[in-house]
Amino acid sequence: MLQFKLVLLGDSSVGKSSIVNRFVKDSFEDLRESTIGAAFLSQTIKLNDNGKEVIVKFEIWDTAGQERYKSLAPMYYRNANAALVVYDITELDSLNKAKTWVEELKNKVGDDNIVIYLVGNKLDVCEKDSSKRLVSLEGAKEYAKEQGLLFIETSAKTGANIKETFQEIGEKLYDIKKTEVNTDLDGNTGEIEISKPSTNDTTSCCS
Amino acid sequence: MYNTERRPSMAERRPSIIASSAQYSSSSLVVPHLAGIEDPLPDTTPDKVDVLIAGTGMVESVLAAALAWQGSSVLHIDQNDYYGDTSATLTVDQLKRWVSQINETMLPCYSNAKLYVSNAIGNDNRKYISRDFGIDLSPKFLFAKSDLLSILVKSRVHQYLEFQSLSTFHTYENDSFEKLTNTKQEIFTNQNLPLMTKRNLMRFIKFVLDWEKHPQIWEPYATKSITEFLIEKFNLEPAQVNELIFSIGLCYTADTKVPHALQRIRRYLISFDVYGPFPVLYSKFGGPGELSQGFCRSAAVAGATYKLNEKLQSFDPTTKVATFTDGSKVMVSEKVIMSPTQAPRSHKHVPKQNFEIHRLTCVVEKSCSEWFTNNESGAVIVFPPGSLKSGNKRVVQALILGSGSECCPSGTCIWYLSTTEQGDRAEMDLDAALEAMEISIIRESSTDIVNDEDIVQITDNGQTVVNSVKLGQSFREYYPREPVQHLLKLYYTQHTSTPPFDIVAPSLFENETTIRANKLNKFTAEAGDNGVMYTAMPSTEISYDEVVTAAKLLYEKIVGSDDDFFDVDFEDEEEMMSNPPPAKYENAIIDDEDADHDMDADSSEFVGEMEI
Repeated sequence: MLQFKLVLLGDSSVGKSSIVNRFVKDSFEDLRESTIGAAFLSQTIKLNDNGKEVIVKFEIWDTAGQERYKSLAPMYYRNANAALVVYDITELDSLNKAKTWVEELKNKVGDDNIVIYLVGNKLDVCEKDSSKRLVSLEGAKEYAKEQGLLFIETSAKTGANIKETFQEIGEKLYDIKKTEVNTDLDGNTGEIEISKPSTNDTTSCCS
Repeated sequence: MYNTERRPSMAERRPSIIASSAQYSSSSLVVPHLAGIEDPLPDTTPDKVDVLIAGTGMVESVLAAALAWQGSSVLHIDQNDYYGDTSATLTVDQLKRWVSQINETMLPCYSNAKLYVSNAIGNDNRKYISRDFGIDLSPKFLFAKSDLLSILVKSRVHQYLEFQSLSTFHTYENDSFEKLTNTKQEIFTNQNLPLMTKRNLMRFIKFVLDWEKHPQIWEPYATKSITEFLIEKFNLEPAQVNELIFSIGLCYTADTKVPHALQRIRRYLISFDVYGPFPVLYSKFGGPGELSQGFCRSAAVAGATYKLNEKLQSFDPTTKVATFTDGSKVMVSEKVIMSPTQAPRSHKHVPKQNFEIHRLTCVVEKSCSEWFTNNESGAVIVFPPGSLKSGNKRVVQALILGSGSECCPSGTCIWYLSTTEQGDRAEMDLDAALEAMEISIIRESSTDIVNDEDIVQITDNGQTVVNSVKLGQSFREYYPREPVQHLLKLYYTQHTSTPPFDIVAPSLFENETTIRANKLNKFTAEAGDNGVMYTAMPSTEISYDEVVTAAKLLYEKIVGSDDDFFDVDFEDEEEMMSNPPPAKYENAIIDDEDADHDMDADSSEFVGEMEI
């Protein structure tokens, strides 16, 4: 199974955690969510590759509040395949903050290594009362185009476009992976899974 | 002890738990899987916290996570714009700034920092860039059977990290590296060991695995040196004695006291084969720096607030108000814990740091794969006393990490050398060890030798095969045409209050006397750190063994007891169902007493082998 690390960025209270919760808890009842307590959430999605079903697993890292003072650790960005940079379409300044997160991400990760999705959240608020919208769709779209980012507006509350966003990221990442399939799909990295001690004692020759 | 009522823990405070508290009446707490990211976070810094911790080094970070999961509100700050403090893993640019901070004496507890950076590292089209490198300020490795490892698993912090094995321990002897004979199999198949030596070695290994149960053997030597004990009691040869004391035991001198040394030798042996045929692990992308980040993230998930670039200006123990240099304030209801490196400018109570650790970190432009076992990217080289040109009195230890550790780019390697030697001699010893390593790696990796049939064999397809083991011997006189290219070379002295060897003792935090004085309102005028409790600087210990002990001691001082130190169970449906852990799992790494049973089983295996 293909596995991708996805991180969320954006100012606090733009709805990063709500987006994750909507996606992980709600969307795919038929597929088990795997739950990893304090570490990160994961969720699998199905893709269709010319009739062949492909399962992609997202390992979703939320900021755990460490973004509040820009105190995110390098560990958070490291090896991320995709990032959702979230802003609030009812908060004018949140798009500017999102732009600084995009900069930060490009500095820390290097943009050819990561798929960045700019997400304007709280669409539901504006649908009810269009005067609440303070960030225009066109302005954000144009910025995303300039920067080569994917772009969408969502509502974590109603679920609008949440599923679609992750689906699109999954497809995008799968396409990238397919082109580099020869590199290492399951190469031996020498990594040790420390929650699983070995049971066979390789040095006892007499057992 | 004086444990009053415990604060409700993170798990207990969760609404979902309170609603169904009857189900969770047992002592171990179950944290639901969305814990920590379920609720929106408050927008501002809390104006009141239970504990303020300054410095995000290993000990402080483990402490922060333990306290946060226990239910304390924690504000964790660091004056730097990166995590890790004394345990940080730095890029080259960060390292340059760190060194200049030391030299401008803005950073207490460090001195004599000298840094050379080759112009191959830079930001504009150079061969390497700054962030290709992750340099540890206090490099460490993790024993496969150790308290920190258990906590990594229990707290789930291990899921943020990637670990790799390290099985190669070299002892430098007679101008060459001897690979350690460290498995039962190797002892038996090693043709160079006389039968009698094998027997004696096996007898010692059998004893040391449960040495505490056999006081009749070691007690007469309790105050004597391990060298004397090994020679007199087990008739071991000098080569084996050196390996046991310095490479397996990782002791610093030949006169290490018997109980200390036995404990350390046992630590290595019981760690073998827990995950495979190797005793230690290290974390990819950087050692303590990565682990610190992991524990900080865990603490944040449990509700701790993180603020980098924040420095304490002063703490007033009467009003309990902490003031930061940016003017913000927070009320601290319980304790302020602080690394000595983060002390406010007007500090008066930083404990004396009486011991020096001298370090030399060198990045070389060689892969050094000759020193690693297949598929590994790390090795340890130990230079016993007297083995170096400088006539070293103490051991020089070197941790070697290659590019597989992701701490340096392909074709390069980081050498971390350190010694507990004090004063000027230390640098001479480090230089001598560096030279020995350079000569050795050139000999072993040299390709300038052609057409010497004795050493170079040509295979059927014309490939040249160079036997690295033979080369060490044959090229004693070989003078390298090309010296090893240094990409970076860093000397520094770190000061610590932890004596070499005495792994953290409670007394280290006993500048509580000043705290008691504080309680009686005997504050030192003008001091910004009245009532602050300082953590210890990292000791010279190359494993993480001191970290949990230190964090637990501090935890007990804050909470009143260490009973619920990381007493959290996480909900984990999928893994439990699809992957039942092996029956041995819990005991194999967490419970020491049960481990003794395992060891007994192993010992009987030894007996069997002895009779072959």
